[in-house]
Amino acid sequence: MRENNPIQTAHIHQEGRRQALKGLSALGLAGVLPLSAMAQPKTVNVGVILPLSGANAQFGINSRQGIELVADEINAAGGLKGLGGAKINLVIADSTSTPNNAATVAQRLIAENECCAILGAFASSLTLAISEVTERRGVPLITMSYSDQLTGRGFKNVFQVTPKGSVIGRAQFNFAAELSGGTSKVNKVAILFEDTAFGTSTAAGLRAAAKDANVEIVMDEAYPLGITDVTPLVNKLRASKAQIVFPVSYLNDSLLIVRALRQQKINIPIVGGSAGYVIPDFAKALGDYADGVLSICSANYDLDTVSTERYRKRFNAFMVHEAVEHAVSLDVLIQSINAAKSAKTEDITRTLRSMTFTEGWAKTMTNGKIKFDESGLNIHAEPVMVQWQKNELATVWPPKFAKAKVISRNV
Amino acid sequence: MPLLQAILDGLMLGGVYAVISIGLTLVFGVISIVNFAQAQFLMVGMYVAYFAWHFLGLDPIFGSVISFIVVFLLGYGVQHLLIRRVLKAPEVAQIFLTVGLLIVLENLALILVGSEFKSVQTWSQNESLEFAGLIISMPYAIAFLASGVAGVMVWWLLAKTWWGRTVRATAQDPMAAKLMGIDPEKIYRMSFGLGVALTAFGGAVILPYLTVSPSVGEQFGVLMFTVVVLGGLGNVLGAVVGGLAVGVIQSLSGLFLPLQLQNMVLFIVFILTLAFRPEGLLRNKS
Repeated sequence: MRENNPIQTAHIHQEGRRQALKGLSALGLAGVLPLSAMAQPKTVNVGVILPLSGANAQFGINSRQGIELVADEINAAGGLKGLGGAKINLVIADSTSTPNNAATVAQRLIAENECCAILGAFASSLTLAISEVTERRGVPLITMSYSDQLTGRGFKNVFQVTPKGSVIGRAQFNFAAELSGGTSKVNKVAILFEDTAFGTSTAAGLRAAAKDANVEIVMDEAYPLGITDVTPLVNKLRASKAQIVFPVSYLNDSLLIVRALRQQKINIPIVGGSAGYVIPDFAKALGDYADGVLSICSANYDLDTVSTERYRKRFNAFMVHEAVEHAVSLDVLIQSINAAKSAKTEDITRTLRSMTFTEGWAKTMTNGKIKFDESGLNIHAEPVMVQWQKNELATVWPPKFAKAKVISRNV
Repeated sequence: MPLLQAILDGLMLGGVYAVISIGLTLVFGVISIVNFAQAQFLMVGMYVAYFAWHFLGLDPIFGSVISFIVVFLLGYGVQHLLIRRVLKAPEVAQIFLTVGLLIVLENLALILVGSEFKSVQTWSQNESLEFAGLIISMPYAIAFLASGVAGVMVWWLLAKTWWGRTVRATAQDPMAAKLMGIDPEKIYRMSFGLGVALTAFGGAVILPYLTVSPSVGEQFGVLMFTVVVLGGLGNVLGAVVGGLAVGVIQSLSGLFLPLQLQNMVLFIVFILTLAFRPEGLLRNKS
């Protein structure tokens, strides 16, 4: 019973509109000029599918802003160099937060809008649904979703700029253990995760890492996305006597969990699983109570502030990782089109797979570069541990990426 | 001890379920219309309280009064402009109207306030009460108390005042009420307003422990119907019992089963009630 208006905004740029008007008046004057003779600038349609309403709307909006930033900058700087200055036209569609809609929207973007590539869709469950469509149509899908399945099915047209969920889950555990002084100091941990594709694959990584380290998992609990009462979860957590809690949540659930923990004065370290734990709204809603919360993340804005500060200037908030990674997704697409001098889907796919990206937004990712392997996974992507320090997120681990020292919270 | 704690948590939760469901059951009991958009009025109430906090710095517990008034007026208008026209129409038309209202309200909210999750910050959010090893979260306790006060006021209004008597008379037999000089149209407007306003009030008092977004109603819609069906559609006392029962069932099933099955247990109870006791747990009309 959710609203159903997938194509939300066809992003038409001011200049584009003016050009189109010129074209129209020219047509009027010339009377019967054939269409092909019209001096219309070429545009390349890029499909963007994001959850702009429903449970994951906030992430969708952040992601869209990252993409818009890159598109506007490139268009302002003269468009696609490899295609004679063709402009990028973003076709942004709302997948809502349900996979069925995401797949329908993908169909439409490819068939009706002739998009040369699809970017999106933040939530793994949505991206998985889209990938079925893009694979069938042979259209490249560039994503920052985490699920292992994305690049684990032998698909030829999926490109994952971030580390896989299981890798992130492992790092979430291992980094936390390292920060607490080694696995010998940690005996009991708790895992709470939302039960869609994202939470499930991250939890699998967490579980595996804890097992490898011989650490007892005293609580391992899935909960439904859209949960409204976490009291039973937190009661169980308290009874479990865990020393570290690893919650993997989107926004709403992350707020509920942290508040319930603070209420019950449970002061064990919270090591979140990205998503809800690393967006500005988390700190906005929790205020001082956010300070000290750790989270694993697939990128962070302090790794390359040259690019990410431009986002802050325009949108008045730090550039959350999904915005960074979606900016990166569009930028690697642009670099591929420029290098291939073509916006044909098969040319883009081939170039994406063969190139190593070291310029532009690629620098914001860990190790400063991107290279996709056979499965479409970015081999240079590594997770980082971030921490809330005075309403900003600082990268605190591993040492080779760290920008700040980890602080401990005393409540 | 965990059992006692779970029951306590469930009661806290259930108190709020009760008050938001009284609104739904009231609308059905008096006007004989099933309002599928009821939960969207909860969303409106949450937004009003959120903006009262955002712009005026009002704690949602006080903001809830504003929510009540604003949504009362909204409901009054909706009854007059829309619902009134389908009262004599086939049930299908009534369903279409209220479901349509649901979609319109949700999308209006999307357009007007955007799809971001909004959340308030209050002193109570990170506090709790502790006694004898039991913990009650402060925002839940406050919401429970506020719901209790609202519930008692509604009971008093319906059972003890002249206006309440006219409402009950209209619910029983609109024609006879009309012969006694009661204007049913007016009663309907007031009742619909009161019904949705109560739900909105409930939305406002739970704001400190939730976040609000245009689709928040979806989490509560089915829940509210479970509550009123458990208690018997149109039965105010039933809604209270149903609300508390649903809260406790949710909480207890969270204790014994994986949390994912929480709602499944609830709906099994729902289906069983419909199958074996469709009139609800309480038989008498209040």
